[in-house]
Amino acid sequence: MSQRMKKTNLLLLLCIVSILSYSQVVPNEKLVFTASYNMSGLMTQIAQVTMQTEIVKTTKKSFLHLSWEAATFSKWDTFFKVRDQYESYVDPVTLRPSLYKRSIFEGGYSKTEKYIYNADGSTINSSSSIKNRPEIKKSFSISGSTQDVISMIYKLRTVDYSKFKTGQTVSFIIVFDEKEYPVSVKYMGKETVSAGNLGKKECFVLSIAAKTDKLKGKDKNLIWLTADSRKVPVLVRFSIPVGTGQLALSTSSAI
Amino acid sequence: MRKFYLIAAYVFAILSIAMTILPMGTIALLPALLTLIFSTLAFVNSTELQKFVPRIVLIIAVLTTLVILGKVVLVKDKVQNDTLFEQKKEENKKENLKDLEGL
Repeated sequence: MSQRMKKTNLLLLLCIVSILSYSQVVPNEKLVFTASYNMSGLMTQIAQVTMQTEIVKTTKKSFLHLSWEAATFSKWDTFFKVRDQYESYVDPVTLRPSLYKRSIFEGGYSKTEKYIYNADGSTINSSSSIKNRPEIKKSFSISGSTQDVISMIYKLRTVDYSKFKTGQTVSFIIVFDEKEYPVSVKYMGKETVSAGNLGKKECFVLSIAAKTDKLKGKDKNLIWLTADSRKVPVLVRFSIPVGTGQLALSTSSAI
Repeated sequence: MRKFYLIAAYVFAILSIAMTILPMGTIALLPALLTLIFSTLAFVNSTELQKFVPRIVLIIAVLTTLVILGKVVLVKDKVQNDTLFEQKKEENKKENLKDLEGL
């Protein structure tokens, strides 16, 4: 093997290692959650939520495709059918988004939203449409570090919480419904919880707070990430204006 | 008192039927069990001639309880294969690739 080839291979290896160690998110990861809604104190299972990652290549570069899908169980479809899809195409190393798409269908209401980030991430060209209404196109400025809601969830997994003290926070800015929101993530400590096919896992407990009317209560929106190098989300508890619920990991693959 | 038990049994029977039709899971057992309790109390507090109506409500309570338990055991939570949604996802993927090529 020539000296040049050895150097190229070493560089490639270093690149792969740096991608894996920085992003904590590997391609072809699939996490399936069961979504439950609190009805009179009892959790009723209503939907399946799937989080998936894959590498998408264009002629110029590669993107990490992060997708999040929610679909109600067939028994609920007659009453309130949900088919939501959130997608983000991000840089595989920095997780900086380039394209974000949201397509929701919730009990007859539908909405689609598309954000295309410009090269330096300071402007978004958006297009959105609500059922039977004409498409609205807009262009708006954002701060350079603004994430979309999907890439933020994955970005959360790149933070090293092992050195965090209880109450310590980390901040993000997300863009949702064409508005920027500051998001504060507070480290609450460690807890061992059931993690689907992974068994019982020690997890970092994080409280998510955002200045939006879509989330309610103080420390009522929590996420449990496994306290290992993968930081897999295994449990999410949320409090929204219409009630409370949770997402519990049922199966995971390629993690 | 019989009247109160009977009215409560009626109300919970209607609620349990509605919740049995809806995919509420084990939560539907709550009104069904309350119907069982109140219809039994109404039955016990009835004279021989008054026992027909509480007996019917009691049968309804037993049937709804059995249907709920049957649904919990037999109906598995699964997502229906939605071809329209899958088709839309595929179209979306192609459209996304076009957008990404332009970046």
